[in-house]
Amino acid sequence: MAIAKAERLMNLALCLLGTRRPLSKRELRTSIEAYLEAFGPGHGGTSAPSDTATGSEDAFNRMFERDKDDLRELGLIIETVESVEGDIGYLARRDSNRLPPITLDVEEAAALGVAAKVWQQARLAGAASGALQKLRAAGMPLAEDAYEGHSALEPRIPAHEAAFEPLMLAARDRRPVTFDYRKANSARAEQRQVEPWTLECWRGHWYLAGWDRDRGAERVFRLSRITGRVRSRGVPFTAPVPDHVTVRETVETWAGENATGTALIKVRAGHGYPLRARAIATRDLGDGWDELEIPSGHGLDAWLVEFGPDVIVLGPAELRADVIDRLRAVAKG
Amino acid sequence: MAGNAIDQTRRMLSLVTYLRERPGARVADVARAFGITEDELIGDLDVLPMCGTSFRGGDLLDIDTDGDRIWWHNPDASGTSTGEPLRLAADEATALLVAARAVATLPGLRESDRQALVRATAKIETAAGDTAAASSRLSVTFESEGGVFADVDRAIAERRRVWLRYYSPARDELTEREVDPIRLFAVGHTYVEAWCRLSEARRTFRLDRVAEIRLLDERSDPPPVEPRDLSEGLVQPAAEDPEVVVEVGPGGRWVAEYYPHDSAEELPDGGLRITLRTPDPASLRRLALRLGRDGRIVTPPELAESARDAAREALAAYGE
Repeated sequence: MAIAKAERLMNLALCLLGTRRPLSKRELRTSIEAYLEAFGPGHGGTSAPSDTATGSEDAFNRMFERDKDDLRELGLIIETVESVEGDIGYLARRDSNRLPPITLDVEEAAALGVAAKVWQQARLAGAASGALQKLRAAGMPLAEDAYEGHSALEPRIPAHEAAFEPLMLAARDRRPVTFDYRKANSARAEQRQVEPWTLECWRGHWYLAGWDRDRGAERVFRLSRITGRVRSRGVPFTAPVPDHVTVRETVETWAGENATGTALIKVRAGHGYPLRARAIATRDLGDGWDELEIPSGHGLDAWLVEFGPDVIVLGPAELRADVIDRLRAVAKG
Repeated sequence: MAGNAIDQTRRMLSLVTYLRERPGARVADVARAFGITEDELIGDLDVLPMCGTSFRGGDLLDIDTDGDRIWWHNPDASGTSTGEPLRLAADEATALLVAARAVATLPGLRESDRQALVRATAKIETAAGDTAAASSRLSVTFESEGGVFADVDRAIAERRRVWLRYYSPARDELTEREVDPIRLFAVGHTYVEAWCRLSEARRTFRLDRVAEIRLLDERSDPPPVEPRDLSEGLVQPAAEDPEVVVEVGPGGRWVAEYYPHDSAEELPDGGLRITLRTPDPASLRRLALRLGRDGRIVTPPELAESARDAAREALAAYGE
C-alpha cells in the first residue's frame, strides 16, 4: 500500500524544519521513505537512467512541488536557496516559522473556542481548528466548560456556495477571476471578469465586491448567482484594493433597506406587525384600521402586496398604482 | 481524502509541539485539547513513529502509547527545532479572526465575552503579523435583536421559562406562547431553539420576529431533545409534506435562491418551474401575491385560488 499523504507531508515538514543547511531535492528524496518507495533514489542511484526513470523523475518533481505548496498552505515558510555552485536547496528556518510568544487566558481561550466553531465551510473549519491546535500546543489553556458563565450562543457561518472557496483564495492572492454570472432577474448568465476585493456575508448569504474589468467599475455579486466554475488567472492584479468597500450598503439597497422617502398606508388591526414595527407614526382610525407612515424604498410595493387585503396604500400615488398593478396581475391568475 | 491529509498533517505538527512539553500526557486529555476523538488521536500516534528527518538514520519520532498515556522517548532526535510552536498560516489566521470579529459584533453578547474576544483578537493579530492582513478580505455580519438576545441568553443561563409574543409571517399574526429555551444560534439571523409549551413540540424562533418577551419565574424544563443539525439548513421539509409547484418568469428566479426546493427546471422563456414541499401550503399565499406577473402557483389549486381571492378583495378596497 502506498504511504499515506499525511505521513509524507509530515516527513517533509520535519526534514525542512530540522535542518540548519539547505537540503537538495535529491537529499530529500532519499531521506523520505514515501518518495523513495514511489520513485526510487533518482539519477545517480543504482538504476541506470531510462525512459521510465525520466517519467518517474517528472512525477517526483510534480509531487514534490505539490507537497511544498501544501506545507506552505499550512503556514510553513520554505526558502529556496541557490548555492554558489548553482545547486538548489530548501529549508524552513526556525526563526521565520516560530509562533511569536502569545499568552491567552481561560476567558480568551473560551471565546476563541466559540469563534473557531462557527465555520460551516470545510476549508475554513479545518483552518480554524488547526489554528486552535497550534495555540493549544503553544500553551493556550483549555476552558473546562465553554458555556459556563458565557453566552449560550452558537453562531454559524454558512458557505455552501461552490464559488466561495475559489473566490476566497483569489481575493487572498489578488488573482483576477472569470465567472458566469446571472443577474437577479435575467435568464441567461453572462461572463464577468473581476478583480476580487472582499467577500462579505450578510443575512447568511455571501457577496463579492470587486472591480469589473469590462464595465470599468466597482460591482457587487451575489455568490449564489454565479453559475459554473470560477477560473482564476495566475498573474496577480496590481491595482490597489480600496480600504473600505461598500458591500453592505449596496446589498441593503437591493433589499430595499435604504429608505428614499415615506409612504402612508392603512393596515387592518391585528395585522402587519413588521410594518408596524418600523412605522414612523401610527394613528388609530377607529374603524378596525390603523394609518401608518412607513419608510419607503426600493421593493416596498412587492412587500406590501404580500399582505393582500389587510394593507391599503394611501400614498404616494405612484406606489399605490404599482401595488394595484401587481394585484391585478395576481387576480388575473 | 486530500483535505483530511492536510488537516491531519497540521494537527500532527501541533501534536509534536504539545507532546514535547507534556511527557506522559493522557490520551483522553490530549484528544480533548485538540478537539478530536481518541480514535483519531490513536490514528495520529500510529503515523508519528514513521516520521522523522531520515527514515534510515534511526531518528524517527519514538512516540508510543499504552492507550492511556503517551510517551516520547527521543524528543531531541529530530533536531532541536522539532516541536517549537509554529506560526499561523494565512487561512488559519483568517478563519479565526473573521469568526472572532463577527461574533464580537453580535448585539446582546455578554460584555465579558465581547471583551475577551476583543482581547484575544488583538493578540492573534499581533502573533500572526503580516499573515493577518488576508483576513480583511472576508467579513461576516450577524443580524440580531440585541434586547431579545440578552433576555433569551439570561433565560438559558437561569433556566427560566419565557413568554413570547411572536410574529408568524405565514399567518401575518402575532401569537402568544410560553417556551423553554434550549439554545441560541446564529445563521445569518439569530434564532432561539425552544420547547414550545403551546404546541408541545420543538420550535425555532427568529429573534427579529419576537415582538415582546418576558422572563417567567417558572423553571424551564425542556424534554431532552437532540439539538438540530444546523449544517442541514434551517428548513427541512419532511417527505410527507404537500408539494407546491410554482412557475416563475425571469423576474421570479430569486424564488429558487430563497426557498429550499426539490427541483428547479429551466423553462424556455428563461423562467423556472420550481417544486418544493411545505407542511403548510397556505403559508405560501404571500409568495403568490408577491410574485405578481413574475410567477404563478400551479399546484395546489386551492393555494392559487386563495391568492386570486386575496388580490380581488384588495382591489375592491381600492375601488377597482
